[in-house]
Amino acid sequence: MRQLFAPGADALLRLALLTAAACLAGIPVVGAGLVRSSYVTGVGVAPDQPVPFSHKHHSGELKIDCRYCHTTVETQATAGIPPTETCMTCHSQIWSGSEMLEPVRASYAKDQPLVWNRLNKLPGYVYYNHSVHVTNGIGCSTCHGSVTDMQLTYRANAFEMSFCLDCHRNPEKYVRPKDQILNMTWSPPANQATLGPELVAQYHIRGGERLTECGICHR
Amino acid sequence: MTHDIGALRARLAAGDGPAFWRSLDAVADSPEFRTFLDTEYPAAARLAAAPDRRGFLKLMAASFAMSGLAACGQPDGRSQEIPYVRQPERVVPGAPLAYASAALVDGFANGITVTTRNGRPLKIEGNAEHPWSRGGTDVFAQASVLGLYDPFRLQTPQHLGRPSSWPAFRAAMTGRFAALKAVAGGRGLHLVTGPVTSPSLAAQIAAMRRDFPAMRWHVSAPTGRDALYEGARRALGRPLETRWRFDRARVVVSLDGDVLDPGPGQVGQARDWVEARRKAAAEGRLLALHHAGPSPNLTSAKAESPLAIGSDGLSALVRDLLAEAGGGTAADRGGPAAAWRARAFAALDAARGSGLVLAGAQAVPDLLAQVHRLNAALGNTGRTVFHTAPVPVLDAEPLDALAEAMRRGEVQLLVMLDVNPVYEAPGDLGFLEALARVPLKVHAGLYQDETAFHCDWNLPLAHPLEAWGDARSLDGTVTPIQPTIRPLYDGRSVPEILSILTDAEAKDGAALFDAHWRSPGEADAAWTARREAVLQAGFFADTALAPETVGAPLPAAAASAPPAPSPAGPARRVEVVFRPDATVWDGSLANLAWLQELPKPLTKVVWGNVIAVSPGLAEREELRQGDVVTLEAEGRRIEGPVWIQPGQAEDAVTVFLGYGRRVPEQLADGLGYDAYPLRRSASPWRLAEATLAKTGRKAPPVTTQNHGTMEGHDLVRVQAVGAVTPVASREALPSLYPPAPTSPGGRYDRERAWGMVIDLDACIGCNACVTACQSENNIPVVGKEEVALGRWLHWLRIDRYYEGGLEDPKTHFMPVPCMHCEQAPCEVGCPVEATVHDREGLNLMVYNRCVGTRACSSYCPYKVRRFNYLDYSGDTAPVQQQQRNPEVTVRARGVMEKCTYCVQRIAAARIDSTRGDHAPIPDGAVVTACQGACPTRAITFGDLRDSGSRVAAAAADPRNYGLLAELNTKPRTTYLARLVEAASATGAAKPGGAL
Repeated sequence: MRQLFAPGADALLRLALLTAAACLAGIPVVGAGLVRSSYVTGVGVAPDQPVPFSHKHHSGELKIDCRYCHTTVETQATAGIPPTETCMTCHSQIWSGSEMLEPVRASYAKDQPLVWNRLNKLPGYVYYNHSVHVTNGIGCSTCHGSVTDMQLTYRANAFEMSFCLDCHRNPEKYVRPKDQILNMTWSPPANQATLGPELVAQYHIRGGERLTECGICHR
Repeated sequence: MTHDIGALRARLAAGDGPAFWRSLDAVADSPEFRTFLDTEYPAAARLAAAPDRRGFLKLMAASFAMSGLAACGQPDGRSQEIPYVRQPERVVPGAPLAYASAALVDGFANGITVTTRNGRPLKIEGNAEHPWSRGGTDVFAQASVLGLYDPFRLQTPQHLGRPSSWPAFRAAMTGRFAALKAVAGGRGLHLVTGPVTSPSLAAQIAAMRRDFPAMRWHVSAPTGRDALYEGARRALGRPLETRWRFDRARVVVSLDGDVLDPGPGQVGQARDWVEARRKAAAEGRLLALHHAGPSPNLTSAKAESPLAIGSDGLSALVRDLLAEAGGGTAADRGGPAAAWRARAFAALDAARGSGLVLAGAQAVPDLLAQVHRLNAALGNTGRTVFHTAPVPVLDAEPLDALAEAMRRGEVQLLVMLDVNPVYEAPGDLGFLEALARVPLKVHAGLYQDETAFHCDWNLPLAHPLEAWGDARSLDGTVTPIQPTIRPLYDGRSVPEILSILTDAEAKDGAALFDAHWRSPGEADAAWTARREAVLQAGFFADTALAPETVGAPLPAAAASAPPAPSPAGPARRVEVVFRPDATVWDGSLANLAWLQELPKPLTKVVWGNVIAVSPGLAEREELRQGDVVTLEAEGRRIEGPVWIQPGQAEDAVTVFLGYGRRVPEQLADGLGYDAYPLRRSASPWRLAEATLAKTGRKAPPVTTQNHGTMEGHDLVRVQAVGAVTPVASREALPSLYPPAPTSPGGRYDRERAWGMVIDLDACIGCNACVTACQSENNIPVVGKEEVALGRWLHWLRIDRYYEGGLEDPKTHFMPVPCMHCEQAPCEVGCPVEATVHDREGLNLMVYNRCVGTRACSSYCPYKVRRFNYLDYSGDTAPVQQQQRNPEVTVRARGVMEKCTYCVQRIAAARIDSTRGDHAPIPDGAVVTACQGACPTRAITFGDLRDSGSRVAAAAADPRNYGLLAELNTKPRTTYLARLVEAASATGAAKPGGAL
């Protein structure tokens, strides 16, 4: 009787089994890669907006203070999105005929709000408060990245729990002096290792153990 | 469960039952009751048919395969941000903004502030400045914010069942009104409103009556205070409001009184009473409350000596008291009533001039008149009892006159504003049949109710939270009502509708408010400033009514002989007492799910009403809990389930209004039975005789009285007034464990220590805290069937205990939130650390970690943890979702939840302090929802380690004790024992199992 399998069949079978095992082992790797990819997290992707607003131009080049538009960042949980009226304080005078700004003028004239696509989202069970961070040594760019360099605005960090916890565990690595809060290009100075703990003490930050208690963010 | 009443009575009398008991089941301690307790969630096993082994494996395989999918996707669906075009002044997106306004009960105001966020009213708080309510609220005010977002509300005007519009309505009415005016000054025009206390609305109606001199105005007030005015008229010659100065009293005797019960007076009266009681306790005496009445209520629950007595017995009792007060002697009738009378009279006699006798709005006018005479005879009038002019406008005719006119065909045009007479008119009026003879009927209401179905025009009313107006509180203080949101629907307020009907140019609510309150000739700037000040304060200063002097009371008319009792037939003859429902009131609030699911203070029944009978009657007639019986009188009949009510007068049954609504497709439809058909307009609160008969059917009411039963000793404690020895030992219990991190000696013993103290002496069981908690913390309702399965979600429950026998038990209320134990047993039980402590002592619940094992709940000795068996929040109507507090997570299915001490309010205070100069959070900066709502200030909250805080002072009070402290859980929530008279302290505190 003729042999059913050629001499190389064993090798093929082994190869197939090996490939299957590798694929199985690869699934978590690929999966882990996928959930961290910008496709899922949205990091680095600038969504379409009704007006192609440029933070780079307004706050980077023209040096308009962040708080001119985000008025409640030092007092409220949310930083605040400017009403159309804020845009029109300048744009009723300059670029008042620009085609790009037509939606802004239309919003103001028709009393219909601009609808922006949201960049930064947290789950419903997380309670983040801007004011308590920016008044205690955490600057805008720590979370939002170098906004002054963004022609179109995109999400700079995936706000996963580990991102928050890193800072809540080791605030001394991220705190900066009060006058640097709005500096979008701030990076930790060489002496952060000595400066950080001093600032933490100065801001009365309660250190890792308190800040990682569940009730600080979840309620 | 069924009980042998005789055996229960014997058990209690012999002293081998529990000293404090929650239900007849607990007294009987039957095997069924034990099983009920052992399966903590009573019917966890009674789920839908369990799958077989193969089906189970399939489901598990599918769940494993698909479990990963749930992890994908964006965390929440909101993906757009919409700023204002022009940001309104003072509005900060996301920040709370409060408006002072009024919440109405029967047209009477309580001062409130409405917290709004992003333009949406979310939560009602008391207005601390308001002279009547002084920061307290009641369940009706707390639930009103749910009513605003009620998806069942009528949304557009309708004509003959078709959508119409306000201009169409005005066009249709203008000609009619002109024609009616031309012919005999408006004869045939009839207006029906609820009780009117609003000065501006009263002026508007008065102007309308000047325009239409022959118009007739009727008031439909199913739970009105007419008996009080009638009683004053009989005794004092004119209708008057009766008010009390508890602070001057040394003893309070209530004859069918309702001083602490729900209604227009509750918030202010309860506060007065509690403050007087606290003041007396500080002076080392007890301001005792003696209560006699046919139907147990919150007033009898707080009484030191409650007496259950029928109306006939009550009138004999007051006659005897009056005779004794005049120096005579009363006939010795024997029995518990005589003993009670001797005690009450001795106390009153000893305190002539500073005694206080009161009767309630649901007493019969003759009794009320007798009470006036009694107070005069004892020298109390003018001292502890005073009178003011009536708060509501009283010159309207009652509904009987309207029914009569309708039957005679005299009514051409009937305008019914914010009333529902087809449902709420007494049964003997035959209102519905009479209504059919009216050619044109206009109805305005929040809902398409029973009356709306029979009317030509149906107009949507604006909710009080979206309208302008004003109303008086029971003390007369005029309280403005201001809108807190643009009307959600096309609704108008009652004054606006009257303006549409009568003014040449229809005015809106703001213009009508200005038109009435602006003084003639007042400059714009002056008026604007004055209006701002009034709206900021939430009341018009110095508008309380001044006391009026009254002369000596008129003598009683010769008492007519009581009607001879009818010969006893096969069915039993009983007296019927009508009472408004403690949660849905007269039925107008029956669509509010929070109120439906709120356990009634005494019966703990939800989603329905009962016919309360006494244990004695139940024993004689062999009635069991839940038996459906009929009550029949004068050919009209109602039927409902029996509730055996300890403390009910022997031969009186109590029926509760507000149920049996027939409103298809609305929440209230078909719940409970309708008691109105049995009512008689001449004597709305009492029927001397009705026939009680069994139907043989059963419809057991759903009650939570056995849910969350704790097992232990001395749950409720009492202490003699003036005692200085602590009611419970303060010694630390021996323990092999090191102190908990948040306990003294622990790692965090210098941190803030949040704690709560609840004063059981001040708690009147009114449920305002429970509703406030529900409103603040996004607690869903679960429905009648789910409550029956023990799945209700209230974070705060009020346990009601009886003490003593079945006939005249004393009643105790005990609010039970999470104890935030320093040694929390629940934390040991959780396999995933979803419930953990923070260093300030909060027992946190981390919803996003919880996997739903429910182990924590079985470890909790207080039974304060609640589990989301189903997705109770998911299918909430979109409009109702707008009520949700954005500061609190909406919980999903499979998650455990419980009281958090309002962690969101603590976080707000902490952030305020951290953002600024890191100053300590001042005492009183964090007010929990329950604490803020409490009309008697029974709840104190704060930092126990701040020696100057009020909560630390309360924790150091000798009355302070921890619930089940013997378990060494070190609860942060503790209680102040109820006060008792020095002599009775030892007797009442007898040790014994309490269930």
